[in-house]
Amino acid sequence: MSFDDKKHIRGQVLALKSFKKSRHLNCFADCSKTVSLAFRRCGANMTLAKQTLELWRGTMKEVGGKFGTGVLSYFKFLKWLLMFNIFSFLVNFGFITIPQLIYHPTPDIPAGVSFKGLEILTGAGYFSHTVMYYGGYSNKTQGTGGRSEYNMQLAYFFTVAAYMVLCGAALIYSMASSFRKKYVLADSGLGGAWQLLCSWDFSVTNEKAVRQRKNNLRIQLKESLSEKVQVALLPLTERLKHYGVFLGTWLLSTGMALGCGASVYFLFSGSLLEEAATLLLPFVVSLINLVVPLFYSLFKKIEHYSNPRMQVYAIIVRNVILKMSILGILCYYWMKDVANTFSCWESIVGQALYRLVIMDFLFIMLGSFFGEFLSNVIGTKCIQSLGVPEFDVARNVLDLIYAQTLAWIGIYFSPLLPVIQIIKFFILFYLKKVSLTQNCQPPRRAGRAAQMQTIFIAILFFPSFVGALSMVAYTVWTLPPSDKCGPFRGLNTTFSAIQIWMDDLNRVDAFQWTVWIYQHVIRSEIFYFLVSLIILVFIYIFRQITQGRQLLIILLRQQIVNVSSSELSGPTCLVHQSCCVRSGCVYVMMLLKCRSNIFS
Amino acid sequence: SLKSLIILFDIESGYYPVCTSDILQVQLSFPPPRLFDRYRDLAPQLVPLDYTDQPDVRLPYELIGSMPELKDNPFRQRIAEVFSEDGEGNMTLDDFLDMFSVLSEMAPRDLKAYYAFKIYDFNNDDFLCKSDLEKTLNKLTRNELTEDEVRMVCEKVIDEADLDNDGRLSLEDFQHMIVRAPDFLSTFHIRI
Repeated sequence: MSFDDKKHIRGQVLALKSFKKSRHLNCFADCSKTVSLAFRRCGANMTLAKQTLELWRGTMKEVGGKFGTGVLSYFKFLKWLLMFNIFSFLVNFGFITIPQLIYHPTPDIPAGVSFKGLEILTGAGYFSHTVMYYGGYSNKTQGTGGRSEYNMQLAYFFTVAAYMVLCGAALIYSMASSFRKKYVLADSGLGGAWQLLCSWDFSVTNEKAVRQRKNNLRIQLKESLSEKVQVALLPLTERLKHYGVFLGTWLLSTGMALGCGASVYFLFSGSLLEEAATLLLPFVVSLINLVVPLFYSLFKKIEHYSNPRMQVYAIIVRNVILKMSILGILCYYWMKDVANTFSCWESIVGQALYRLVIMDFLFIMLGSFFGEFLSNVIGTKCIQSLGVPEFDVARNVLDLIYAQTLAWIGIYFSPLLPVIQIIKFFILFYLKKVSLTQNCQPPRRAGRAAQMQTIFIAILFFPSFVGALSMVAYTVWTLPPSDKCGPFRGLNTTFSAIQIWMDDLNRVDAFQWTVWIYQHVIRSEIFYFLVSLIILVFIYIFRQITQGRQLLIILLRQQIVNVSSSELSGPTCLVHQSCCVRSGCVYVMMLLKCRSNIFS
Repeated sequence: SLKSLIILFDIESGYYPVCTSDILQVQLSFPPPRLFDRYRDLAPQLVPLDYTDQPDVRLPYELIGSMPELKDNPFRQRIAEVFSEDGEGNMTLDDFLDMFSVLSEMAPRDLKAYYAFKIYDFNNDDFLCKSDLEKTLNKLTRNELTEDEVRMVCEKVIDEADLDNDGRLSLEDFQHMIVRAPDFLSTFHIRI
């Protein structure tokens, strides 16, 4: 659509507006117009202020310009996780820690315990009596001498519950929208067309990066041209051999994961309470998380996947199995043994998580050093054929997911753990950025960044968040809280606090409806059964609709081929042209709307 | 008629409910500060600070093409030509704002596909024919593929993407291909 048409439409719109304006000449319309203009200007100024304050905007632009959108997705993911932790910190600090600090400003630290430097690493000692952990919170309903009451038990429970629910909702929403936008219609075999027309990254702004991308594209195009058509059916022996190799590597990797989990479990038979020895467990866990994935990447040499993307998926699945099985074993140990053995067991678990978080951070730094700096040195000075390393987005994102799982598990046992996590992510951002710019080169293959993003969010939701949530839910529902410390001391389970509150409310007539909801909705099984049944019915209906639509797409595609293979006659031509004009108008409208969007 | 189409669109489309002329009015009077500052920084002596009387100021292509976001982009000339009013690359403030709106994160996929199509359409005939594809390929690979290889790649592209079998890609073919490339939204994006 030519610019004259665009101008013509704009002129028409302005004429329409002045026509409308001439109809309403009263004062009220004028006033409201001025007011709305003022609001919009104010809104634009506020957006400008928000954008200047936006965290790391310049750095992300620089990274995206030099390394492309694939690598940038790691940094965006890091920033997104940081927001979760900031929110968690604000909520916990505001609703749990501040009331505790108001009513008990100084922690009761037993005599003889003072702050030595080692606490920063171990989290025990001085810290174990402060508000850092569950044990530092009192169970009394605060309120003495005329101040209003603050029920610490309910506050603790509802804060943790509300945060988990909001996190879950945010994750489900991101996962669904990412899936819809980026995953649903993706095709795996577009090859040449896709590479040529859709994959050029317009946001790359560095001359060297542009040259490199051009080289990469050229190499990829040459590769796709010289690909011989693969024989669809390999001989039976070859196929059996491939399947045998796959089975072997998968058994080996799963066996290694379970073996590491078992060894971690048996490590617990050592003494736990001496301060320096407590660091042994997190050290071993982080070492396993660093070294075993390197073994997994060695399997690449033996296996031959038909599709390079399957390779990446296989690596991701193996790493997730490893990390989640280790975390699973640790949680099992904490729930079964620690809960029965120690007196203030929630604080012990909180301290263990603190140590895991700190040690994980140290090992990520080490991993950055070995993975990127040393690889760069070796690749450029010693073994020239290796070349400059690429930034491994998948491995780094899985490390982030693991770190966030630890934080989510720890939300109940150590309310101030998000502070450590925030500091950790902050430092990690700058560390990774420096390591990236100094040591790495942009990725050689234009990867499927959008689809990988969806998969990462899905992994963040399914094993990571759901696992953490189920562990916290199990603790709250079933395990008896410790007798001597914490806000729930003396109760049978943590959830009994709600029961007691409901009994109290029952005595007041005004709140009978709350009690009714509690008894007949939350505690009754029929409600959940009915809700699940209704959801299953909806899923079935939507699936049928989707399948019908896919069939329709196939039929319509066939129709396009049929229609265009017959000659275009006069009326069809006109239809085609008016379709062009109509679509042109649509695009101008979209452009105007888009403009207003980027400014609001 | 076009007029009725606009009214129809306004009410029925479910788009932003304020009349589009309001948007135009706001933007012509108060263009958003950051983009306007970038436009003005290219030639402070040519661009006035006050845009209320809609002055006719056009920045030449050389200035636009020297912006850091565009100077290394192999398609900068085509981008400037597509978004400029005169088709030569000399951009008014309007064109400048249009360009960065379409290339921003929030532009809908259809709009981006429409403009990407126009950028790759070197001879402006509303179809991507073989010569357009060859020119695109040459811009992307620094003229280092042989003639045969160029021809083979272009043939492969047309084979894969041409739905109505007329030997060239129309906008619909292009859009259909874009739908199957979810990365397009994030790669057809310039950060400013």
